Amino acid sequence: MEMKRWMILLMFLSVLGMVSSGWAADTIKIGVVGPRTGPAAATGKAFEEGIAIALDHINAKGGVLGKQVEVVFEDTGGVPEKAASAFEKLATRDKVPIVVGESHSSSALAEIEVANRYKVPFIICEAWHDDITKKNYKWVFRAGPVNSGVVDFYIAPFVKDNGFKKVAIVRENSDWGVGIAERTETDLKNFGIPFITLKVERESKDFYTELTKIKGEKPDIILAYIYGTGLHFFVAQANEVGLSPKCLILDGAGPPSLWDTFWKNVGKAGELELFMSSMHEKVHLTPTSRKFWDDYKKKYGKEPTDYKTRSIYNVVLIAADAISRAKSMGNEAIVTALEKTNLEVTTGNVKFGLKQGTYEYHQWMPPMLIVQWQDQKQVVVYPKEAATGTLKKGK
Amino acid sequence: MSEFLMYLTNGMVMGVINAISAIGVSLIVGIMRVVNFAHGELYIFAGYFSYHLSTSLGVPPLIAMPLSVFFIFLVGIGMERTLIRPTYGNEMYSLIITFVLSIVLQNAALLIFGPYPNKPPNLVSGATNIFGLYHYGNQRLLTFFISIGILLFIFYLIKKTWFGKSIRAVSQDRGMASLVGVDHFRVNMLSFGLGAALAGAAGVVIAPIFPVTPTGSSAISLNAFVVVVLGGMGSLKGCVVGGLLLGMIENLGAAYISTMYRHIFGFIILILVLVFRPWGIFGQKTQ
Amino acid sequence: MANAQQKRNFKKLWIIGFFVLLALFPPFFLSQYWLHVMIISLFYVMMASSWNLIAGFTGQVSFAHAAFSGIGAYVSGMLAVYLGLSPWLGIFVGMGVAALLGLALGYLCIRMGGIYLSLTTLGFSEILRIIITNEDQWTRGTMGLQVPGFFTEYSKTSYYYLFLIIAILILLIIYWIIHSEMGLTFRAVLNDELAASSSGINTIRVRILAFTISSAMAGLAGGLYGHYLMLITPDIPSLGQMFLVLAMVVIGGMGSFIGPIMGSFILEILSEYIRIYGEYHVLLFGLIALGISRFAPEGVMGVLGRRWKRAWA
Repeated sequence: MEMKRWMILLMFLSVLGMVSSGWAADTIKIGVVGPRTGPAAATGKAFEEGIAIALDHINAKGGVLGKQVEVVFEDTGGVPEKAASAFEKLATRDKVPIVVGESHSSSALAEIEVANRYKVPFIICEAWHDDITKKNYKWVFRAGPVNSGVVDFYIAPFVKDNGFKKVAIVRENSDWGVGIAERTETDLKNFGIPFITLKVERESKDFYTELTKIKGEKPDIILAYIYGTGLHFFVAQANEVGLSPKCLILDGAGPPSLWDTFWKNVGKAGELELFMSSMHEKVHLTPTSRKFWDDYKKKYGKEPTDYKTRSIYNVVLIAADAISRAKSMGNEAIVTALEKTNLEVTTGNVKFGLKQGTYEYHQWMPPMLIVQWQDQKQVVVYPKEAATGTLKKGK
Repeated sequence: MSEFLMYLTNGMVMGVINAISAIGVSLIVGIMRVVNFAHGELYIFAGYFSYHLSTSLGVPPLIAMPLSVFFIFLVGIGMERTLIRPTYGNEMYSLIITFVLSIVLQNAALLIFGPYPNKPPNLVSGATNIFGLYHYGNQRLLTFFISIGILLFIFYLIKKTWFGKSIRAVSQDRGMASLVGVDHFRVNMLSFGLGAALAGAAGVVIAPIFPVTPTGSSAISLNAFVVVVLGGMGSLKGCVVGGLLLGMIENLGAAYISTMYRHIFGFIILILVLVFRPWGIFGQKTQ
Repeated sequence: MANAQQKRNFKKLWIIGFFVLLALFPPFFLSQYWLHVMIISLFYVMMASSWNLIAGFTGQVSFAHAAFSGIGAYVSGMLAVYLGLSPWLGIFVGMGVAALLGLALGYLCIRMGGIYLSLTTLGFSEILRIIITNEDQWTRGTMGLQVPGFFTEYSKTSYYYLFLIIAILILLIIYWIIHSEMGLTFRAVLNDELAASSSGINTIRVRILAFTISSAMAGLAGGLYGHYLMLITPDIPSLGQMFLVLAMVVIGGMGSFIGPIMGSFILEILSEYIRIYGEYHVLLFGLIALGISRFAPEGVMGVLGRRWKRAWA
């Protein structure tokens, strides 16, 4: 009977599948989650680069526990359901001892639930939402920016110190946008700086209406919490309607202002645009940072532009370091080792907070920079200690 | 007041852009009773071709644009011959095939062109000060005028030329048309090609303003469908009126009601029209 | 004549019994990962089979199917989160809401048929997605709504059996419908609507009924899916999901009972393998679906069916 033959074939294939996943156990696999496809695929590319350099460095030193280190990079597509499924795959199919990465808050919030369910240690690098560490899951760590930190220590004081009189907050309707906008509103209220808030759809292309509304309010700075291509359109159109450069624009995330296509899409409207970053060629806080920069140039023939290459590099290093110190691949041992981390990475010395009940639990916030495009060159304008130039306001 | 004028202008410009985007769909639906779900993908492919021709190959934009449109015209003809022709009369299959095709093309675009938005260079830059009341981007104004030109050209084509007459004949009564000697297979093929070319033209003309991305195609297709249904399937006048109406409603709605729901206005209109007046503003009732 | 028919029915019963028995075993030898794949496949079996009911059997290509599963998921999820309603009850409320909306939507657009039905359902699907995404105070939008599962102790095995039982129930209902008088009506309507309506069948009512039942099933499937993943996002009512369901039916075989079942398993398992090589699986499925709808519109089942007949001839 035809049916029987099909069934046997199917069963054979499934057995094959199950068996093949159990092979090869003489490398240590670290899981990575990130958007390799979808609107933020540029980050996936950045991750790939950072991972490559991290593996070079780790394996050159002999690997971890005597074995070479390998990375399994699962795609999240930038959406939470795929992210949860990617994490689940890493936990159940590849059975990795630890997972690192992620650049979307919504995905991260979904992944931490899976991490908790399967008890797999997870170090996040570029998902900023407070709740990720505020939930105090013992398996979850973050070596990267957190919304409250970014706003409290950088954006809000920047606005205050530079004497901006009226702020327009534009936020996309994503988890990150909502979170960071709320924190900004709180801080600005405390500083007594007037502001208006506008919400936009995540995949908007046409901002003329919103920009016209903003223009009516006459702000002198716009905090643009828009990620991805939307930001390019926003910046270009703000110029067309005559809003900028009189009113400055700050890209609250950073990478879109650094993508190759930024200048092509934005034209001269990019002049004087501000953006968040954690990397600049003249700002080397540690020797590791310098080594990363040089090795990146050697390997890819260009300077690193997207700071997420460094973020992922950092967390891969942290993971490898934790496994080494734990001398085991067991999850409890790794968590204990992580809590004791004292490692130099590109942005400083990693030490995770241990204060329960707040977002500071298992959180390490790297120093960040506010950079301005001046004559198509990156100039650090905040904080003062790291500044390489002065802020230019528009006319 | 100047704000209101700005919204109105934007609505008008977006409206005309909607119209040329929609004509491609309307033509095909009117003549062949086939909904081209792959419309948005043809649009972005044209945009990408235009971008790559002018950026990577250094072809001057004024040549890159029509060339890209011509490529898409050929693609349209190819699509018709291989995929659509066998499904004549079977509405269900033509829907399924173009829907699947649109997904295939979307993913192919992602693989071929990459995920980043690409923008062919502007033909003009800067902004104009309209009546001293507000600023408006120059490239948008140029696109507005080019779009009007395309619309006029299509009207001329349909109303005055022999080709246009055969198209109208076929759409009204296929049997009779072939009796009087119109090769309706050829008409179908050329119409589909033309419909595709129009999608491409819209893409090529609008890409300098709104960069193309592989994922943006569904929004473009859906927008075109709303306009076509609103104006009446197969009616060119309908596309223009529908497009303008949609542009205005979206912009004014976003401005005065809620910026978050700008796309919902379009869909609500779609459903209201489909429920109460499915033949659209200018469509024929006998469907 | 009756003897041959009885023999065939007996054979069918044996085959079905064999598969049901087979289906009881996976949790004993499959890893957590593959068990998960099986559970997802069962979800798609529910979705594909119920979509096939209206598309394959009554010729209405609705694009709102994924939207209805989304309604089931969100209603049940929000009831659980905001009112503490147990998912066991929630999924039935979700199913009810999906059925009601299905009835309303069906009533509105069935009389238009064809292109208009497809465009209306498309519009409905997108409106729903936009509302869900924008009303983030209630639905948590793209962040996703975190909802409780069915069992206090998380166990994939339990979920597997739950999905299996409901899938079998749904399939039984569909089987019964197809082979009942209603089913005959469907096929009459599909094959020649003019003839059917002139012989007195109220084609509109039949199609609305089919649409409602199909939406209810999608709603139930959505509720199950949401509480299994414990995360409900606007991806569930998306056109991307709609495409997967459509591809599974087309590839498996539209208008056949087993087609969607096969399609679901084949595509879901295949996608796991292809994922290792990157995200090409959607493209691949699209190409296969394209090829099949162009050259073999009856899908895999159609091809197998023909060979089966030849083997017995």
